[in-house]
Amino acid sequence: MAGYLAQAWAVARKDLLLEARSRERFVSMATFAVLVAVVFSFALDPTVRSRDIAGAMLWVTVLFAGTLGLGRSFALEREADALTGVLVSPAPRGAVFLGKWLANLLIVLAVEAVVFPVYALFFGLRFAGALGGLVLVVFLATAGFMALGTLFSAIAVHTRLGETLLPILLLPLLIPVVIFAASATQRLLAGRPLAEVGGNLRMLLAFDLVFLFVCTAAFGSAMEE
Amino acid sequence: MSAAPWVAEAPAVEARGVEKWYGPLPAVRGIDLALARGELLTIFGPNGAGKTTLLRILCGAVRPTRGTVFVAGEQVGGEEEGWRRRIGLLSHQTFLYPGLTAAENLDFYARLYGLPDRKGRVEEGLRQVGLLERRGDRVRTFSRGMQQRLALARTLLHEPEVVFLDEPYTGLDPHASAMLRAVLDRLKDGRRTVVLVTHNLSQGLEQADRVAVQVGGRWVSDERRGEIDAARWEQVYTERVAAAV
Repeated sequence: MAGYLAQAWAVARKDLLLEARSRERFVSMATFAVLVAVVFSFALDPTVRSRDIAGAMLWVTVLFAGTLGLGRSFALEREADALTGVLVSPAPRGAVFLGKWLANLLIVLAVEAVVFPVYALFFGLRFAGALGGLVLVVFLATAGFMALGTLFSAIAVHTRLGETLLPILLLPLLIPVVIFAASATQRLLAGRPLAEVGGNLRMLLAFDLVFLFVCTAAFGSAMEE
Repeated sequence: MSAAPWVAEAPAVEARGVEKWYGPLPAVRGIDLALARGELLTIFGPNGAGKTTLLRILCGAVRPTRGTVFVAGEQVGGEEEGWRRRIGLLSHQTFLYPGLTAAENLDFYARLYGLPDRKGRVEEGLRQVGLLERRGDRVRTFSRGMQQRLALARTLLHEPEVVFLDEPYTGLDPHASAMLRAVLDRLKDGRRTVVLVTHNLSQGLEQADRVAVQVGGRWVSDERRGEIDAARWEQVYTERVAAAV
C-alpha cells in the first residue's frame, strides 16, 4: 500500500511541478473564470438579486473552467509519448489515476480560491460565517468532478475529437454533483446553518466515493490500446 | 522492490501465436518467438511491417488480439506484474517531460519503479550517458541526441533484464550514435536480453545474435547471426522483402 501511494504521489508531484513551472492551466482556468464573472455581472438584470443565484453561477463557472484545464491534463503525457513510459512501468494503473486526480484536484482548488473571492467582490457575497461549510462543499464537489474529469480526459486524449469530446462526455454526468453543490452553496450563502446542508454533503461524499472507485477501476481499461 | 526470481529454464522473452488486428487490418500475424537469456535479436523490416507494434506487444504496451507473451516465464499483462520490473523500453519517442530537468525526469521514473538510493541512481545514470553536467537543465533545451541519451538513461535506470529498443538511432548524429552503440555493447554482458528494431542494416546486424525480417506483419526469416553473410546482407534483405510484399 505504501508503494502504491508513493507511486500515486510521484505522478501527482510531477504534474504539480510541471504546472508550477508553466502555470499554463491555472492561468487559463482562472482567467476564464474571472471573465465569466465579469460577463455575468453585465448580463444579469439589475432587478435580479444576484445572491439568489450565486450558487448556480459559481458552479457553472467552476465546471466550465475546470473542464478547460482538464483537457490539458493528459495532453502533457502525449508530448514525447510519456504516457507509454508510465504505463510500461510497474506503477499500477490505479496509482497513476489517483496521482493525476490529486494533481487536478489541487490545481482546480487553487483556481476556486481565486473564483470565490472574485464573485464575492462582483456580486456582494458574504462568506463570513459560512466559510467552513463552503470549504467542505467546494472540496467534496471538486473531488467528484475531478474523478470523472480525469477519467474522461484520459479517454478523450486518445480520440481525434480530443478536447471537443471532453465536455460532451463529462458535463451530463456531472449534473447530480452540480445540483447538490449549487444548492448547498446557495443555502450557506443565504446564512443557513451547516446542519441544513448535511444531506447535500452526504450525497456529495457518496458521489465522490463511487466516482473514485469506479474511475480508478475503469482507468486501466481506458488506457488499453 | 525487486522482481521475483527468474523462472528456471524459461526463455527471456517468449511469444506464442501473437497477432494484432486494427479492425480488418493486420499489424502482426502469427509470431512465435523464444529468445534465450543474454541474446540480442534484431528485427528488420520495411515501414509498416508491424515491427513497432510487435515490440510494444512484447513489452506490454499494446494488448495482442490473439496469442500470449511471457517475460522470464511471467505472462505479460497477467495479474502478477513483476515482469514490468524486468523490462526497459527505448523508443524514438523519449517518454520524457520537456518541462522537467534531466534529473527530475529520471527521479520521476525512479519513484515509479520504487528504486532505493534515487539520488545516487539518477546521478549514475546521467554520468553513464554524459549528461551529469546538464542535470539541472530542462529537457526542452536539449538537442535530439541529448534527449535520446537521457531516454537511454531512463530505460536502464532500474537495470532491466530485458531491453526493447525501437529505432534507437533515429535522428542521432554520429557522435550520439557512437555513444549509444557503446552503451548497447556494454548491455551484451550475457545476462541481459535485447530486442532491437531498426532500419539500419549494418548496425543492426553487427550487434545481433539472431536476425529476423518482418514484412506485412509476418516474419519471413529468423536465423542465427552466424548463418548470415554480412557482405551480402543488404542484397539478401532487399530480395526477401521484395519477395514477401
